[in-house]
Amino acid sequence: MASPNMSPQSALSFPRPIFAVLSPHPFLQAHLSTFPKQQLRANGRAASTFRPLGVHTGSLTHTNGSAVIRLGNTAVVCGVRAELLKEEDAGQTPVPATTIIRAGNDNEEDEEIDEGDDSQELSTLRLLVPNIELATGSAPQHIPGSAPSTFAQALVARIRALLLSTQLVRMSGLTIWYTPPTTAGAPNDEVRVVKGYWVLYIDTVFLSLDGNAFDAAWLAILAALRDTRLPHAYWDEELETILCSDDPVQAKRLPLRGLPVPSSFAVFEGRMDDVKDEEVNWVLSDPDAFEESVCRETVCVVVDCSDKKARIRTVEKNGGGVVDRDVMRALIKRAVERWSDCERALSEKG
Amino acid sequence: MGPEVVLSHLHRADGSATYTHNGYCVIGSVNGPIEVLRKDEQPEEATVEVNVRPAAGVGSPKERHLETLLHNTLRSIILTRSIPRTLVQITLQIRSLPEEDSVLGVNTSLTLLPHLLNTSLLALLSASIPLSTILTSVLIAIPSSKNAIPLLSPTAKDLLRAKPLRSLHVFAFSGDRKLLLNESYGSFGYEEWDDACEMAEEVCCKEGGVELSEGMEVEGQQGNLEEWLRQVVKRKVEREQRWRTAD
Repeated sequence: MASPNMSPQSALSFPRPIFAVLSPHPFLQAHLSTFPKQQLRANGRAASTFRPLGVHTGSLTHTNGSAVIRLGNTAVVCGVRAELLKEEDAGQTPVPATTIIRAGNDNEEDEEIDEGDDSQELSTLRLLVPNIELATGSAPQHIPGSAPSTFAQALVARIRALLLSTQLVRMSGLTIWYTPPTTAGAPNDEVRVVKGYWVLYIDTVFLSLDGNAFDAAWLAILAALRDTRLPHAYWDEELETILCSDDPVQAKRLPLRGLPVPSSFAVFEGRMDDVKDEEVNWVLSDPDAFEESVCRETVCVVVDCSDKKARIRTVEKNGGGVVDRDVMRALIKRAVERWSDCERALSEKG
Repeated sequence: MGPEVVLSHLHRADGSATYTHNGYCVIGSVNGPIEVLRKDEQPEEATVEVNVRPAAGVGSPKERHLETLLHNTLRSIILTRSIPRTLVQITLQIRSLPEEDSVLGVNTSLTLLPHLLNTSLLALLSASIPLSTILTSVLIAIPSSKNAIPLLSPTAKDLLRAKPLRSLHVFAFSGDRKLLLNESYGSFGYEEWDDACEMAEEVCCKEGGVELSEGMEVEGQQGNLEEWLRQVVKRKVEREQRWRTAD
């Protein structure tokens, strides 16, 4: 257990937890470099092992969709609440021509063409409102009752950017249409008008935070959105308002696009020891809080393999220069493997 | 048009730079090394603080996210261990954005990020903060039409014209050609990302070692960023050495 630079003073030895607190960096390096074959981390995982994902959906009855996610000791609850936004309250309503064309046929080629339109509409109308609450006593550095920390705000910004860029929620599921009756009798799609929108308030609460907040938050949101059912909403001509049917049979699932799954990595830069003069680095999958505290460089890759071919939706990397193009290739491979694990976990409970 | 820069024009700050490129204008100021608050003090290294102030209004979560990215990136190039128990404070005020920025419909923090990174580096240079290496950053957009040529450091107008976009990438490279930062959004495969990365590396980093014809380079649109940075620093040094060569 003693690191190479501590071995001369072997008379002085500490129990494991004290070593971890006193000198976290040598502690983790000692773990990773003691057995070069295994390269086990302090938490018993190999460098490329993720924590198993636990999903439970639909546990909050007063929301439209909810999920509880566990990644080791990180536990997150996410609830999706839908509220109506009337068309006249939405401010400027950009209804691009493609929206009307798309309304009828929802085939795949059409989706390719209108790529980009949904995200603009979603962002100008602000139909998706993610919020993240970390100050619940989830971790010692997030004091309960305090204002959202920089970390929490940055997390919300990343979640929102990903929601918009992946266009996970289809605009067609959030728009409430009305087709006025025509004299011919047959409903005419040409004249139908937008009467309102659903706004989704996506609240994510961290019950406990043991590293990898982004993956946990996004997976919770993903599971909650997959669980979301919106009641059938329609424009009532006589009352001149939007009504919701209370028949649960008519409630519809939210139409989603693909299944983007994030994988976060932290780069542990080993300090050079006197014997070998080369630098040793490890890329740790799904870091826990202790590992995050000693790693500076982080990478997050979001992949979506639901369309047979793996597509990368996001690459975020900052904090150092260890991960280059070759390392990134390996990380994307790890992320693709992680995708199938998460897909299995999510669809079991979906 | 290459980027334009004015160095050390704020007299109350230790270092400052105004950077103008493609309609984005950012003022950066650096104070440091200065005294640090007790709660932020680190015994073995300097604390880096980044403030991003938007063109209008107060900061939002978007600015906090940009600050986090800048903080993590700059912390890796500033020699924080040589100035322990101090604070390096970097303030970036966005002065103007191109008119088209709000209607782009793309992630506006990505289009802004390279300019913020370049400004912060220039301001750090102006303040003579010890750095381990330099940093250059560029934006690359890939339009979604088949066989489209990636757009290198596009203007807001170019982006608007090239819509719809398939993916948007920001890369930052250090002086020793290491990938320091990458933010990519959209839908793409590894090969596309790899090509974009290679393209960014060519623009950000100088070819090979020091070239003899350095002064002969004509600064075009596709000019090399490291080359450009060297010219800026050369002008700065010449200006600072005026007193020697005055007579």
